[in-house]
Amino acid sequence: MTQRPTSRAELQDLLRSRRHPRVRLLGSGSRPAMVRRVPSDATFVSLAAMDRIERLEPGDLTCSVQPGVLRHELDLELRRHGLELPCAGTGTIGGLFAADDIGPLAPGAPAPRNLLLGLEGVLADGTPFKSGARVVKSVAGFDVHKLFVGSQGRLFAATLLHLKLRPLPRASCAFGVRNLSLADALAKFAGLRQEPAGVHQVTLLRDAAGACMLAGRLGGRASHLAALRTRFSLAESADAGPLQLHAEAGHELITGIVCCSRLNGLLADLPAAAPFLMHGGGRFWTVLPTPQVAPLLSRMPTHDAHAVAVSAADSPGTALDPGAATLTTAIRHALDPRGVLA
Amino acid sequence: MFAPMPALERRLTDLLGAARVITARDALLAWECDGFTVHRALPRAVVLPESTAEVQAIVQLLHGENVPFVPRGAGTCLSGGPTPSVPAVVIELARMKRVLHVSPDDLLAVVQPGVVNLDLTLAVQHLGLHYAPDPSSQSVCTIGGNLAENSGGPHCFKYGMTTDHMLGAVVVLPDGSLARLGQNAGPRAPHALDLPGVFCGSEGTFGIATEIMVRLSRDQESVRTLLAAFATMTAACRTVGDIVAAGLVPAALEILDQATIRAVEASVYRAGYPEDAAAVLLVEIDGPRQVVDEEAAEIRGLFLARSPLRIEEASTPAERKRLWKGRKGAFGAMGRLNTDLYVLDGVVPRTRLVEALDRIHAIAERHGVLLTNVFHAGDGNLHPNISYDGRDAAQTARTVAAGREILQVCLDLGGSITGEHGIGSEKLDYMALMYDPTDLEVMARVRTAFNPSGLCNPGKVLPTRNACAEVAKWPKMVERVLDDHQRRGGDR
Repeated sequence: MTQRPTSRAELQDLLRSRRHPRVRLLGSGSRPAMVRRVPSDATFVSLAAMDRIERLEPGDLTCSVQPGVLRHELDLELRRHGLELPCAGTGTIGGLFAADDIGPLAPGAPAPRNLLLGLEGVLADGTPFKSGARVVKSVAGFDVHKLFVGSQGRLFAATLLHLKLRPLPRASCAFGVRNLSLADALAKFAGLRQEPAGVHQVTLLRDAAGACMLAGRLGGRASHLAALRTRFSLAESADAGPLQLHAEAGHELITGIVCCSRLNGLLADLPAAAPFLMHGGGRFWTVLPTPQVAPLLSRMPTHDAHAVAVSAADSPGTALDPGAATLTTAIRHALDPRGVLA
Repeated sequence: MFAPMPALERRLTDLLGAARVITARDALLAWECDGFTVHRALPRAVVLPESTAEVQAIVQLLHGENVPFVPRGAGTCLSGGPTPSVPAVVIELARMKRVLHVSPDDLLAVVQPGVVNLDLTLAVQHLGLHYAPDPSSQSVCTIGGNLAENSGGPHCFKYGMTTDHMLGAVVVLPDGSLARLGQNAGPRAPHALDLPGVFCGSEGTFGIATEIMVRLSRDQESVRTLLAAFATMTAACRTVGDIVAAGLVPAALEILDQATIRAVEASVYRAGYPEDAAAVLLVEIDGPRQVVDEEAAEIRGLFLARSPLRIEEASTPAERKRLWKGRKGAFGAMGRLNTDLYVLDGVVPRTRLVEALDRIHAIAERHGVLLTNVFHAGDGNLHPNISYDGRDAAQTARTVAAGREILQVCLDLGGSITGEHGIGSEKLDYMALMYDPTDLEVMARVRTAFNPSGLCNPGKVLPTRNACAEVAKWPKMVERVLDDHQRRGGDR
């Protein structure tokens, strides 16, 4: 059974009651960043019913929304004011930020971590707190809210998120270039990554047959977009949203981050038949037969890369730096000493 | 308090050599404060490491001896962050000033903490790259200090703050162990927490960064600076709102008030600003040349709709430098107004700028203090500056009292007590005005995860546990600082 609190107070009461030794916070993000096993004694808690846009200040380019607000509903409201939340992701806003499963779509493009100004949250023991502010700039206190991004609800629940917005670009268009050789695709990908303006999203895809394509989105003034399309020979295309890979039975979906300069080495290390997808911001995905996953993850440090098997339950992923791992454990213990948030 | 500490000094000298361990009282005076000169305190010693290994050895020694320590960059902080709150050893990182690695393909650099902000841009400009965060002190402040404070600057409106450009860091934790937060490819691996995000802005209380990975930005093809002078501050602020409402995202939106304009024009930073103007608005736009042309035309139209006294436009580096000279030199120019300057750093929602400025002026009048305003209008980040004579106790007290009321106005309007200068020791008590005890308790828990011994820069950012009681009795803490300041007036 899933608990569905409709307010911060209800969530606090639920957590304070101590009737639930383990709680799994449910968010509907773009997709699960990682599959985690559910403890047998876990209670599911969904914040989907907390779905109000509490504040939208177009002149300040900020808004405050509850975690259950759906991305597409927020987008609709923002568009009415000529604004956007300039990051990828679908589902609920809480799930999107908790998962952060895509990161920036191009160098310098915003990722969820750049757009979260502050939040109100509840610790596993029901303690309410806030961090950050609702204005675009504040350095008062420690940025505890940054820990929420990508935490998958394992540190605390967010009950109100203060977000930074951006004006909608004057013009935008999707592009797609198919049937490229790997060399051509990499060259064009690198060139688009180096553009200081106008490239909001760029994605490189090598399919299982070795054919490559580039897709993405340009945004800005129409004159500049036209210039970019000409310079990079980019054909306008229908916007299919961010491309995704999927794993079939016996295979695992792997996601990671890698520097562009190490991309060739990483690709050479993958089986030729492994599909590969990478966003300009450094996030990549590939699909491998299950037996090949662990060896690849162990080789990631040689590529200065980090990765995790998305679809394998409780995959440890590439080993983190020991000091960072110790800090992660210490932070989890500090915020949830009883280990309630499973 | 300042008794010699021969045993510890000997051991520090064993690590670094005598030339890099400073304990003489006269020499220590150089480290008694940062840009927040109200709070002064001599460190027990200053050490000058040159490598991660040396920092680690120092911290291990101090941790073993239970001696507090404070990391410090160039000392340009404006909130007392690197000024010891208890007798402590200052670990000065200015000698760690090498750019270790630059990767143009990856748009990243790895630097030591003592690299000066502007020097990083100078080191990569031949590659068509720059480091975007540009605090006003960028010609002297260090990347390590920027990381500690999550520094901002005029170009935050478009490009964000230090945290938005930080990929990771190698950190000596307060127990002397090492941790690598983030990585070259990005601040957060898919299965990791955003440790760089929470470390950035921790004001030297979470550990000491000895290698910092930062994102570089590709230079724009064209940059243009526009100036509009207005007869009223309201018109200048409304123009900022017009620009944002039009969907434009300039690189910078800065305003100087008349008192600042006059101080600048009477100084070596003279930029040719009209002294009869109530406010000057500087707008910088960058991007492809054609885009900049289009946006400049649009912005000129928005200027004209608010009946400016004058419009100027600068395209060449020399012209742009002139227009920026007054803004960049504004704080220096205020040295003409009195012996001391208290630089405040509140934030309000951009749409509340006019109301905030009206209320701030009323506060200044009521306290009889000399106030100037120069601020990042695009971010709503105000810098009300109070010029005062620090030798005059009554004037200093009025200054601090006015400052406290100004920050309360920022909070009342839904803002923050600091946009880019940090809490340090200056705003320690004000934290409880912005946050509840449970908020502070959660922050304290995170700090304890990094700094369980509490030895790393103690007494900063978070007030003590009875903060609410302290605030109820405000301004006890500030009075204490002022009393101490006046007792040691002979040092100045």
